[in-house]
Amino acid sequence: MDFIFQVFGSFSLLLDPFNMTYVVLGFVIGTIFAAIPGLTATLAMALLLPLTYSLNVETALMACASIYMAGMCGGSITATTINIPGAPSSMMTALDGYPMQQQGKGALALGHAALGSMFGGAVGALLLIAVAPFVAELSLLVKTTGKFSLLAFALIVVVIAQRGQVAKAGLAACIGLMLATVGLDAMEPITRFTYGNSNLTAGIALMPVIIGTFAIAEVLMQAFAPGDELATKAAADKVKIRRRDFIPPWSDIRKIGFVCYFKSCLIGYFVGTLPGAGGSMGSFLAYTETVRTSDEPETFGKGNPKGIVASESANNAVCGGAMVPMLTFGIPGDPITAIMLGVLVINGIQPGPQLMADQAGLIAPMLAALLFSAVFLIPLTLYLIGPYFIKIVSIRKDVLYAVIALLAIVGSYVATYSTFQMFMALAMGVLAFYLRRNGFPVITMLLGYILGPNLEEFLRRSLALSNGDPTTFVTNMDSLFFVLLTLVFVYFLVIRKPARNPAVEA
Amino acid sequence: MFLNRQNSFLFLILAVSVGYLVSAMSLGAPVAESGLTPSFFPILVGAAAILFSTILIVQNRRETSGKTASDAPRVYTHLWVIAAIFVYIMAFRTVGYFISSGLFVFALIVIFSSVEKLVVKAVISAAIVAICYVMFQKLFGVRLPTLWG
Repeated sequence: MDFIFQVFGSFSLLLDPFNMTYVVLGFVIGTIFAAIPGLTATLAMALLLPLTYSLNVETALMACASIYMAGMCGGSITATTINIPGAPSSMMTALDGYPMQQQGKGALALGHAALGSMFGGAVGALLLIAVAPFVAELSLLVKTTGKFSLLAFALIVVVIAQRGQVAKAGLAACIGLMLATVGLDAMEPITRFTYGNSNLTAGIALMPVIIGTFAIAEVLMQAFAPGDELATKAAADKVKIRRRDFIPPWSDIRKIGFVCYFKSCLIGYFVGTLPGAGGSMGSFLAYTETVRTSDEPETFGKGNPKGIVASESANNAVCGGAMVPMLTFGIPGDPITAIMLGVLVINGIQPGPQLMADQAGLIAPMLAALLFSAVFLIPLTLYLIGPYFIKIVSIRKDVLYAVIALLAIVGSYVATYSTFQMFMALAMGVLAFYLRRNGFPVITMLLGYILGPNLEEFLRRSLALSNGDPTTFVTNMDSLFFVLLTLVFVYFLVIRKPARNPAVEA
Repeated sequence: MFLNRQNSFLFLILAVSVGYLVSAMSLGAPVAESGLTPSFFPILVGAAAILFSTILIVQNRRETSGKTASDAPRVYTHLWVIAAIFVYIMAFRTVGYFISSGLFVFALIVIFSSVEKLVVKAVISAAIVAICYVMFQKLFGVRLPTLWG
């Protein structure tokens, strides 16, 4: 309960103009990046990562939380108005949003999307605030062998969740693990894979990996396969949105039903807790569940606001869910929480079971900002700048990508004031670009890189404690739990092969 | 064709994985009396990477056999961007932030658009570099290299 009071007490920090500026600025930047097809809030956060050096940790984390929330709802703008989802998590929104736009109800569709996002974001954040302290306490029961099995579970789930491309996901994870082994060994004073380069003794830093993977690789992807800018701009020019049409009538909300909102939130939240699942998986599952239980399933895909609400409630609830494993175990649920983990690590904070107890003062403001963004910033942003949203896609792409490249390269210089990190960011960008171009999921590489050091350390410690007996992983109850959980996921995701997720595959 | 674009990439990954595994094995025996050594985990990862890349090469060969090469024109814009970033990093400390960044942003704008209205693009580049300087140096307290020290 103390933590819950601390979170609500942290709302006072939002009254500080400095903090509020960063939270609002983060939300607007996240919305803009999420709305522009091809760009994502992950990219926005990767570009802002170097700037967290000059901010205090609370402010940086609050800004991250608002970018995260904005990133999940911003994609619905172009998904609804021009049928081009700004972010993968809004693909299901386009199915019913765009038909509503064609019927002249585009503003209403955006209103339903914002209401769903607001509700989903708020429920996800509240569940996170309520559940995280208990999960943190439970996580104290997980000892060394259990920690190895948990990390192995996370990595295996991320790989097998990439249905249809498990071998590619496995290879990408191995590449991430390879990168993680560069530098000084965690348990013995031996350097590995540095080949005499002293810059690599401390390992490959997180900053160039994130900037390269998300920012530089994105610029290269756009250079390799640019979108049809003129067609997008022409479609956007045709759209007219009036502010008074945004607010959904009460009769519509009653027709959609509270159950639809709440069920979608729960689906999104629990999907969020799974490593690598992300917003697109959450919205897909919530949408299919809503269609399955609907009395009129034939209306979906033709402009049924229930479809928009299901998709948007779920993808915003993912935000709260994805933070649970990140804060309590240091396992990021998606790329954005991976970058948030980076912000914590760069500032010397180690996520894990003790975080909620020892550093609650740092985490509580972030959760307050997450809730604040959902409840106030989503509707406020829509109402104030909603009519101009669609103009975002008219930004000149040549200037945009030049700015992104400049911020990314100079940003990677900031950490150590060395050009080595700039070269490292370029190398990581080129690697991520070729991986993406060949259909490899880079999130598995990133998770391999992030989880690798702990995975190796806990494996070696576990076997050292058991005198080399590998049965220790099934004789310890905490470890056995995660081994069985892994088997359950392997059964459902690999052996039974559930329905394919078009949003993820696209 | 046996070596298509994706297969070449997979062969490169396979070669790197083999090199990684050899380097890992040169660290010593994977298991000693005291338990696992620093070479154990990299050997495991290297072996898994070789396994996955071999599977993908075989899969790719099966899928592409009998298919003709794509007629789509090859795009090299990304290579120009990589070259521009490389040159920019090389010049960053030598010629300072302003000149290197100005030329870099100008080059990227031209790469992403066309070689016309160069004066307008130069003015935009100068404005971007100046705004980013203010943001990094003044707002966030980052020291950027300049010709005047």
